[in-house]
Amino acid sequence: MIDLIEVFDRAETGPLTSETDYYMKRYVPKLAEVIARYGIKWDKQTIVNTDDELTDNVFSAAVDLLAEAGAYCPETNRVMEFTRDEILTACAQAPTSATFGEGRERKAMRGRRPDTTDDRPWVHVGGGIYTTDEQVFVDTVEKMASFSIVDSVSVPSILHIRGKDARVRSPQEVLATIKTVRLAREGILRSGRVGLPIINGISAASQPASMFAATYPDFGLRPSDGFLIDFLSEMVVGYEALQKVAFYNTIGANIGSTSTPLFGGYAGGAEGVAVTATCYMIMGNLIMRGTYHYNAPLHSKLHLSSTKPLIWAIALSNAAVGRNMGYPMVNLPYLGGGSGTKQYHYEMACYMLAVVTSGGNVFSGHPAMAVQPDSLVPDDHRFHAEIGLAAARLTRAEAEPICQKLFPLFGDKLKEPDKGLTFQEVYDPRTKRIVNADYQRVMDEVREELAGMGLEVPVS
Amino acid sequence: MGDDGIFEELKQSVIDQDEEKVLATVDKALAAGVDARKVIDDGLLPGLDVIGEQFECEEIFLPELMQAALAFQSAMAVLEPKIRESGGEGPKKGRIVLGTVKGDLHSIGKNILRLLFETSGYEVWDLGIDVDLFKFIDKAKEVDADIIAMSALLTTTLIGQKDVIDALGEQGLRDKYRVMVGGGATTEEWAQKIGADGWAPSAYEAVTLAARLVGAQAGSAA
Repeated sequence: MIDLIEVFDRAETGPLTSETDYYMKRYVPKLAEVIARYGIKWDKQTIVNTDDELTDNVFSAAVDLLAEAGAYCPETNRVMEFTRDEILTACAQAPTSATFGEGRERKAMRGRRPDTTDDRPWVHVGGGIYTTDEQVFVDTVEKMASFSIVDSVSVPSILHIRGKDARVRSPQEVLATIKTVRLAREGILRSGRVGLPIINGISAASQPASMFAATYPDFGLRPSDGFLIDFLSEMVVGYEALQKVAFYNTIGANIGSTSTPLFGGYAGGAEGVAVTATCYMIMGNLIMRGTYHYNAPLHSKLHLSSTKPLIWAIALSNAAVGRNMGYPMVNLPYLGGGSGTKQYHYEMACYMLAVVTSGGNVFSGHPAMAVQPDSLVPDDHRFHAEIGLAAARLTRAEAEPICQKLFPLFGDKLKEPDKGLTFQEVYDPRTKRIVNADYQRVMDEVREELAGMGLEVPVS
Repeated sequence: MGDDGIFEELKQSVIDQDEEKVLATVDKALAAGVDARKVIDDGLLPGLDVIGEQFECEEIFLPELMQAALAFQSAMAVLEPKIRESGGEGPKKGRIVLGTVKGDLHSIGKNILRLLFETSGYEVWDLGIDVDLFKFIDKAKEVDADIIAMSALLTTTLIGQKDVIDALGEQGLRDKYRVMVGGGATTEEWAQKIGADGWAPSAYEAVTLAARLVGAQAGSAA
């Protein structure tokens, strides 16, 4: 694989072009070209693709896209170009596992192939949801970390310093990031699993300086956690991202290459998202030097990832990389329904069935459209992790008919999703036990419904 | 071919996102003596309306929207001088200063909005991403804007929208411009809290909002 300094140099030596020209003369036409070249087409019905020829064509199209369009560096206004051989060599040498955590919590997340029914996927829970109160923050983290099936957590966001939200790039932001990490470690410590890794970005941190500060040993982030580095706009590799690559790579940390291809944006529709998402995983290894990928395609207007074409595209990108590269992947589900609602659980089950059977690891969902402060309810995430583990015992062909039964239960609600509950509305603040009977009833009913559809979800 | 035929041809060329065809049909219409303003109002803009509807219904996506917008802009480069030569004014519905607020590097939503504004007949100054509050204000003064439109994707950068509104107030300029906000992290409640004049949940709805705000601005100025 070409070395890292050479990768950085490509941002200074590639062809000079404006951002508009990059999109209109390179990325957009090349994407259309590779989609046509490989005959990639969504039939507007399938949720879980089972056609391996299509799957492999998506991977080939993604390789061609990177080789022919390159990536764009806005700071230098240059296209970072890579030859087909360089790309294929990087794919062949991509990591197939990433080791996280400390002590007895130290484990490996592995790249999975589609239709693997005899392994246990990595289980990640949580989300960067805003919390209003430090106690709620710590309680949320403690509760999530205490679930024995959980291998890693994403921690919520706490932005305020002395009652005021930290302004982006301010000194207060650095302090808010450090505070977030220290409180998260405290929550994990209270769960009795001190070595458990945190593998999300810290939402309070908008700039590399804040994340680097949180990596100071006294504050709590450590190389065995996961550090997200994202592509900003489609195919854009900014200097801030490359600064993080330089730092995290130098300290030997786990890098989670992160991408959010937008359905309806430059990537276009389902086919474009499938190819672009796959291309990001290839770039995540080659450019970001990731040890795993954080795949988060999103609908540009609805701001969620549970539409039918998106679930198809996300699952297909997992299968493409799972069959051809072996890079470990998690997928961040943005769901419409609010915490504790049936809609939220149905969306999660459909998404999980599609991506886990296609080669993804397990990652619980983030309420997106119905999100509100303190709406990370840990028992939702345990339930969703249980659904993911149950899905891992199925093949794509077995998952598809269940997804087809699930989608009508939430598809029409995505534009106006059901509002959900907050942490305080579900738990006793002292014992942290569920005291909302309706919350528990809804979860039990969905578990029964899933069993009726053919997905038995054992309680962990 | 009557006027209706040429207008239909103009409309279809925009719907096809075919820049060469758009320019050729514009030339044909002008050669046939059709007024430049009518070429826009009765030919190109109806085509853009269809493009906007197709985008909203997810029949087409951003690349197609951009192609149609580029074709429209090329046609306008030919038509606007003709309108000026005949003593007329441009057909613009209003002037909008647009950008993503300071600290926020996200551009796609803002770019979509720019295209929809432009293809709906507004004159747009896109200040890009990570825009300093004084850039919004200075540009609005310079171009005598009707609207300042600000995008913010992140919770941490929302405050940038409030900063601009507060600064407009401190400079005694708040009533001079209508301010609209949007972006992934925004809500209607947020817009009300910071004293914005309007909020839209999507780029398409932002265009409707802009029309309402420009109408209100004209009404209050009358």
